[in-house]
Amino acid sequence: MTISAERPTETAAGTAAPAGPRRVSWTNRPGWMSQHLGTALVLAFLGYLLGHWWGNHIAGNYHYINGASGQNSVADFLALLLMVVGWLVGIGALNYPIAKLFGREAVEEAPAKGMSRYFRYTLDHKVVGMQYVVGTLLFLFTGGLLAMAIRTELLNPTVHIFNPGTYIEIVSEHGTIMMMMATSVVVGPLGNYLVPLMIGSRRMAFPRIEAFSFWIFSAGYMVIFSALFYGGFPTGWTGYAPLQNQAGPGMISYLFGFAVIGMGMIAAGFNIAVTIINYRAPGMTWSRVPMFVWSILATASLLTLATPVLFSAGLFGILDHVVLTSLYVNEHGGSSYLWENLFWFFGHPEVYIMALPGFGIVAEIVPVFTRKPLFAYKVAAAGMMGVALLSFFVWQHHLFQSGINPDMRPLFMLTTELISIPTGFIYLVGMGSLYKSKMRLEIPMLFSLALYFNFLIGGITGVFLSDVPVNVTVHGSFFVLSHFHYTIMGGLIFAFMAGLYYWLPKMTGYMMNKKLGLWHFWTMFIFFNMTFFPMFIIGLLGQPRRVFEYAHGLQGLNDFSSISAFCLGASFLLFFWNLMYSMIINPKKAPANPWDSLGLEWQTANPVPLYNFERIPVIVTEPYRYSEPGAPAYADFGGGGSDGGSSGAVGSSVEE
Amino acid sequence: MTDTYKDSTAPNATPEEREFEFRSHIGSIWTGGRLAIGVATFMYASLAFAYFYLRSSNNSHLWRIPGQLAPLYYGWTILICMLVMAGLGMYGHSRLRKGFTNDFQVAGWTGVAAGLIALFFQIWELVVLPFYPGSSGYASTFVAFVVMNIMTIVFATYWLETAVARSLRLRKELGGTRPELSSAHTARSFRANVSSMSYYLGYVGIISIGFFLMFYVQ
Repeated sequence: MTISAERPTETAAGTAAPAGPRRVSWTNRPGWMSQHLGTALVLAFLGYLLGHWWGNHIAGNYHYINGASGQNSVADFLALLLMVVGWLVGIGALNYPIAKLFGREAVEEAPAKGMSRYFRYTLDHKVVGMQYVVGTLLFLFTGGLLAMAIRTELLNPTVHIFNPGTYIEIVSEHGTIMMMMATSVVVGPLGNYLVPLMIGSRRMAFPRIEAFSFWIFSAGYMVIFSALFYGGFPTGWTGYAPLQNQAGPGMISYLFGFAVIGMGMIAAGFNIAVTIINYRAPGMTWSRVPMFVWSILATASLLTLATPVLFSAGLFGILDHVVLTSLYVNEHGGSSYLWENLFWFFGHPEVYIMALPGFGIVAEIVPVFTRKPLFAYKVAAAGMMGVALLSFFVWQHHLFQSGINPDMRPLFMLTTELISIPTGFIYLVGMGSLYKSKMRLEIPMLFSLALYFNFLIGGITGVFLSDVPVNVTVHGSFFVLSHFHYTIMGGLIFAFMAGLYYWLPKMTGYMMNKKLGLWHFWTMFIFFNMTFFPMFIIGLLGQPRRVFEYAHGLQGLNDFSSISAFCLGASFLLFFWNLMYSMIINPKKAPANPWDSLGLEWQTANPVPLYNFERIPVIVTEPYRYSEPGAPAYADFGGGGSDGGSSGAVGSSVEE
Repeated sequence: MTDTYKDSTAPNATPEEREFEFRSHIGSIWTGGRLAIGVATFMYASLAFAYFYLRSSNNSHLWRIPGQLAPLYYGWTILICMLVMAGLGMYGHSRLRKGFTNDFQVAGWTGVAAGLIALFFQIWELVVLPFYPGSSGYASTFVAFVVMNIMTIVFATYWLETAVARSLRLRKELGGTRPELSSAHTARSFRANVSSMSYYLGYVGIISIGFFLMFYVQ
């Protein structure tokens, strides 16, 4: 690769100002005559009304569609469908696809300025990343509130706040919102923002697909949330048939919401995978790719290939409700197991969609705060891809208790246990990196260490659960619930927090307050464990999930868990307060490279220029050479690191 | 693929950087086209799984009511139209590579017409189905197949139409130079797009034959 390091003299350093006049598209037109969040909301609302009217017009007189409840599924579905279409039209997502029909190509758009760009359909991956930050935090907040409602109900085994139907709706909505949020919580905000920076690219491969992924993800949130107004759905987040077929109109929101968010996940994974494969900077061979990028590549592959199955499963369910097919109805030639198979064929890779980015984040953070290279880099990369591949072959372990052929159990028990090997690789890489290190216990590092602690518990209980005898005993109990909260919340959400504390100074230009951050970490870590560890015991003692009445003898443990959960919720409020305090009330400018990282993302100017790098960097060595004073810098900017620095030479400011 | 090169480079990029980014862009079109096939494969695989799963389960002996079959004339018409669209798209691509833009355009427009006819019949077939959607496992999977096929036809026809429309406009933008001969980035990007589209259409052709055999041949 022979990219010249010479800088053209006529350009302004670091600003990447547009060379000439640009056309202003509808999406960026100033003022009311443009497309933005407001127009999206208005058109989504109008689309909803139109869809409802249309559905009632064409199917209102068919009693076998309306059924005993008088609820018209066609109208419900069309309302949601046209709501999503209206949303996309309103935000401007369809402008370019329509222009292409007339042979037009992309308009070189002048980027919107100021805060308004965060409310528009934008092609800047950094803005999309920030949009995802807000979007996923909104998901997290909503799902968290529902969790508080669940724990409030479980304070007493017999005195109830909700009726059983409302309780299961809350549980279902909590699970669905959280799982859909979790699939995108790292790939969306951090993947979109950081991947181009970390691979030395100025852009994403398909920025419109990237923007589409966020806005359809938001639409999916509205669709899933709308279930509450339709009376919810009683199936839990797994949506099992035949209960699915017996459920009310809220089920359509669930099924369509999954399909819509699935489209967003496919789009996000597709764009990121293509970007990583093609847009790596010169010299960035596969053995020089940062581990976070490896994890995102593995995740993006899973998103792209596994999510179409979820989309199909959702589509089949919608057809069962709207045009009365019987794909999941045993009595009419369908099968409820079909849903279970399709759902878990996506659902288990989804587990790794959630786990892998978390490990990628901590693998990026640990070397920075231990000043050591990442231990066994290639093993970690192989582990990531190994987990991604094997995750397609384990889904039937979710059906051990659902009536699969018993002869199939040993096979899927074996594949499930096999997957613990590459997962163990990834875990041990972290342990190897921590071994004999002198750690700087900054907040991102604390969250990373907490991940290793939590995931150890979550992972080992997972190995137990993959064994058929244990699975038979604890299936459907709080033991399982605790296991997956330890892996998803204890793993992914802790890693997400580590990532936010680590990268927000880059993304926003401001440091998070350390004192508040420490309070947030310790309260979250302690109360997380106090909330979920007792649930292992509760589960072993026989309390089933999704049931609001339980044995009196378990009240003590449940109350302990509930009170801890409220404190855990309060710890998130601390985080939100810290976010507001550090970004708005008392903002403190972040240094260009506050953690003294060698990562490429820290070598560009702060705030990051529109095109990320003034010069495309040339990667000259491995990414984690922290313990080698005098080692060459990771990248060569041709004498012009955007911050004017030496682009990541080792051992500069941190005293070991 | 949907994104183009025109707005991709930083204004202060050096010529080498522009060339590097352009090569990345061409690689993205190549990778994106193949990945789109991967996405479609997993979607159709889930449908095939549903078909064979329900067929082997035969719950309530209702996999298929004896004699139940989707209208064969419609099936043939749709299959032929899809094959024509796929074949013409691929043929157009091969002609474009040999320097015959007009052939590409004629083949492309004819392919678009074939796609639209396939779309019409695929939708209309739902109106004339001789069975209710929920009457059997076969009937249900068939309806699901129709919906999926509509999405596939729409996407394939859209891709072909936008490529042909682009070739018309591109000639004007290149000042009369034919897109197959120009070395301008935008023309090379266009050719890469057509190449990816051609692969995708080939895939659509294969899929349509496979699912025709599954659903229309008893």
